[in-house]
Amino acid sequence: MSENDILQSLRNAALASIHEAKNSAQLDSIETQYLGRKGEITSQLRRIGSLPAEERKDFGQAVNDAKEAVDAAITARREALVSVEADAKFVDEAIDVTMPGRLWHTGRSHILVDTLQRIKEIFIGMGYEFVETPEIEDYKSNFEALNYPEEHPALDEQMSFYITDDTLLRTHTTAFQHQVMSNRKPPMRVATLGKCYRSDAVDATHSHTFHQVDCFTIDRGISMADLKGTIHQFAVEMFGREVNVRFRPDFFPFVEPGAEFSVTCIICGGDGCNVCKGSGFLELGGAGLIHPNILTAHGFDPEEYSGFAFGFGIERMPMLMYGIRDLRLFMENDMRFLRQL
Amino acid sequence: MKVSIDWLRQYIDFTCPLGELADGLTMAGLEVEETIQISKAEFAAQGGSGEIDDTVFDIKVTPNRGDWLSMIGVAREVAPLVGEKVRLPEPKVIESEPASSELIEIRIDAPELCRRYVCAVIRNVTVKESPGWLKDRIIAAGMRPINNVVDITNFVMMELGQPLHAFDLSLLHGNQIIVRRAKDSETITSIDESERKLDSEMLVIADHDRPVAIAGIMGGIDSEIGEQTKDILIESANFNSVGIRRTAKRLNMSTDASYRFERGVDPGITVLAALRAAELIAQLGGGEVCKGVVDVYPSPIEPLEVKIRPARVNKILGVSIDAGAMIACLNSLDIESAIDGEAINCKVPTFRPDITHEIDLIEEVGRVYGYDKLPMTLPQGASQGKDSPEGKLRDKLRRILMASGGQEALTHSIVDIGLARVAGREEQSVNLRNPLSEELNSMRVMLAPNLLQVIERNQAFGNQNVCVFEIGKVYFADASGKSSEKLAIAGAVVGNLWERSWGLPAKALDVDFYTCKGILESLFDGLCIQNVKFVEATDPLLHPTRAAKVFVGDREIGILGEAASTALETLGVRGRPCVFELDFHALMETAPQVVTYQEPPRYPAMQRHIAAVVADSIPYAKLVDLIRTAGGGMVEEIELLDVYKGEHIGEGQSSLTLGVVFRSREKTLTDEEVNSVLALIKDALSQGANAIFR
Repeated sequence: MSENDILQSLRNAALASIHEAKNSAQLDSIETQYLGRKGEITSQLRRIGSLPAEERKDFGQAVNDAKEAVDAAITARREALVSVEADAKFVDEAIDVTMPGRLWHTGRSHILVDTLQRIKEIFIGMGYEFVETPEIEDYKSNFEALNYPEEHPALDEQMSFYITDDTLLRTHTTAFQHQVMSNRKPPMRVATLGKCYRSDAVDATHSHTFHQVDCFTIDRGISMADLKGTIHQFAVEMFGREVNVRFRPDFFPFVEPGAEFSVTCIICGGDGCNVCKGSGFLELGGAGLIHPNILTAHGFDPEEYSGFAFGFGIERMPMLMYGIRDLRLFMENDMRFLRQL
Repeated sequence: MKVSIDWLRQYIDFTCPLGELADGLTMAGLEVEETIQISKAEFAAQGGSGEIDDTVFDIKVTPNRGDWLSMIGVAREVAPLVGEKVRLPEPKVIESEPASSELIEIRIDAPELCRRYVCAVIRNVTVKESPGWLKDRIIAAGMRPINNVVDITNFVMMELGQPLHAFDLSLLHGNQIIVRRAKDSETITSIDESERKLDSEMLVIADHDRPVAIAGIMGGIDSEIGEQTKDILIESANFNSVGIRRTAKRLNMSTDASYRFERGVDPGITVLAALRAAELIAQLGGGEVCKGVVDVYPSPIEPLEVKIRPARVNKILGVSIDAGAMIACLNSLDIESAIDGEAINCKVPTFRPDITHEIDLIEEVGRVYGYDKLPMTLPQGASQGKDSPEGKLRDKLRRILMASGGQEALTHSIVDIGLARVAGREEQSVNLRNPLSEELNSMRVMLAPNLLQVIERNQAFGNQNVCVFEIGKVYFADASGKSSEKLAIAGAVVGNLWERSWGLPAKALDVDFYTCKGILESLFDGLCIQNVKFVEATDPLLHPTRAAKVFVGDREIGILGEAASTALETLGVRGRPCVFELDFHALMETAPQVVTYQEPPRYPAMQRHIAAVVADSIPYAKLVDLIRTAGGGMVEEIELLDVYKGEHIGEGQSSLTLGVVFRSREKTLTDEEVNSVLALIKDALSQGANAIFR
């Protein structure tokens, strides 16, 4: 066999094995076998010396051609194999994307706290400063300083839990007025929220414990119209839509004129439904202008200053907004209930 | 207050639809809570005439408006709505001898409790069934017809708001009525056949010998009207509302009469009511009305004169109504008003004791004008709204704990004192003097027992994995017995924190002391509170050897641990929940207000592992101390990687694998530098903790 024939058969053998190579490791060994420093094709160059001078140039060229061809074939095959191998690996690593995700429990807000938070944000936006207030109050703050006459039937609506003769659990957040007014000077816009207690048996719509928000403002020139406008703005923000506010006369010893306020029923939009008992309105709370007796008692001249105050229960809001029928669910803390928020 | 529409028409004319009337009354402050139809058949079934159909408004009367507890009181509110005048009844009585004053002597010994006492005497009355029309009224008012005399007293009370009482004159001893305080330990058997013990705080109507009625509340059985009664004394009196309320509460009684007296009865209607009753009794029971009522009225009440300033009315209501319109509003309520220079002079009738000042009349103008017509404005001037410092921290804590997997809970503050007992803090408990029930008799001393209860309830609901927290008030009595309250924050975990964890090793997921501690550590981290220490401790609520007190610096701020098995047993909780509870205010005071940010380190860190066998009696915190001290400033972080006990490790010992991170803020550390410090650390560990390195 001539030198050229040997080279040709090496070249063919190399290309054939490249073609059959199954993976890049095989290609690596083929590369070493033929093109390595001691590779079968590479070593052909060493035989160049035994050739006649006039053939050397052509043979050298032929070896280089063979090397290049084999190298190109290896490169091409390698590229082909990479994607085949990757495909095989992917098949191997396949997962079922429809299986459930793993999930660490995340906590959520309690629905009532969340509601309190929303209310608070709205009033802060309207310039109210929230203050912390005690739940254990004295008779004076809860009743006397709020202009409750002694032994008045209005007290019947405020059946209290007593701790001593004079200390009780506040029956309304309005009890905070006395402390705040004793320590500040007008103008003021102050609010508080928290638990209140009344001696009331527990059922789906009553509880001995409930939450209230109370706000009041004292300044020059505060009017009933300001009170109405304030409550309207709150209601629009809270319910996220235009609502009508309805005021009707009501009695609370600490305000005069006194009012009860309602907003357009958010269930029926005012057409009348069973939630609003056909009236188109939902009662929210009590309001009015701070009684001059209270202003005077705290050293504010009612001729110079006037103020309004209003308060309302919290539980009713999420009950209406989320269709919750039983008040007791709030304090039962059933995870299946709480985790719906 | 049940208002029969058919009856109401006797006092005022109106033609508007009843729905409109109900709305008008509601918007005037007399909320019509329900409109009830009573058919002829329904009247007949209750003993009525069966001749009329009627509509009844059930009206909610606010406690300041005792005058609304009568037909004429309601008619007076209909008047401005329909623009008509109220017709008061004008009793026509044919009087005969002798004069009432010859048959009975009246004396008020306690004028502070009885403003006025009027009586009328009717003789030779036949006590019998009432006629149909009267029974219809009584039924519509929600009462039960009894006999003509009783029904008439109820009728007049409903009509005029004046409670009446009828005595059998022949059963009164000594022809005397004495209005006096009861003597201590005096008794009376009231017409409901209960014997009542009286005292000197209570007002009675007595004859010469004994009390015959508890004034303004209930009559006595000894002088009650019966079928054989012939001569009747009608009492129409005005009693002090506070006195009546005290007595009624003390005796645990509430009657239609006491309800009205507590809310105030018009002292100007007393005589009219007596005459009205006399007229009806004579009409329906025969008999002769004795001449002249007896009227004892030591200090007559005159209508109050109050001035209002129109400018002030407009300023307070936020409107601009002219003075003439204001006067019209007030006159429509029978408040005689007339302009007087810059002001309006108002004469407040005696049936409106709720009106004493200008502001009260401003409300009246507003009511008649219509609250609905008041404009809506916002207060002038800007002010800075803000949350309280407590509120801000509370929000931050909520966010941190929710991110750690905590579900926010809200539990009752009124609890069974058993919870304080479980927590070993019974002596601090604030107890209610008048609890709703024995299970709701005290205020919570801690939050954690409540959260254990939440776990118990959830386990009953089938929720085995619970991680909850609460921020709320706890209440405690100090040594002197004074009650206080403060904010606390607590958490409780049981089960595991994974919602779905298939394929992960189940055992490793269960929460334990360290999971709970991790949650707490993330809380301190979130608040940038450093220098937190957990010190082995005991607490009645906690497992004796799995409990810690939590310190920030030297200040003790709370507890952490596995709940004690005794507590779990008492509360019926399964599993091994862990809890923590911290003083909220302590967090507020120890959390830095200002945090200075650190530039991230620029030089690389080096890590070395230390595998040390140490006795279990050596707390981990001590190893950390030794490493930090020996490492100087070069030790950035120490991480506990593994704890191994068992084969090749001696009894009472553990093999700990610690990852120590070294870093300098000035330069890249070399292997030699780190190795030499590591050698110092190992020396320190073997000398200070008898550690053996593997």
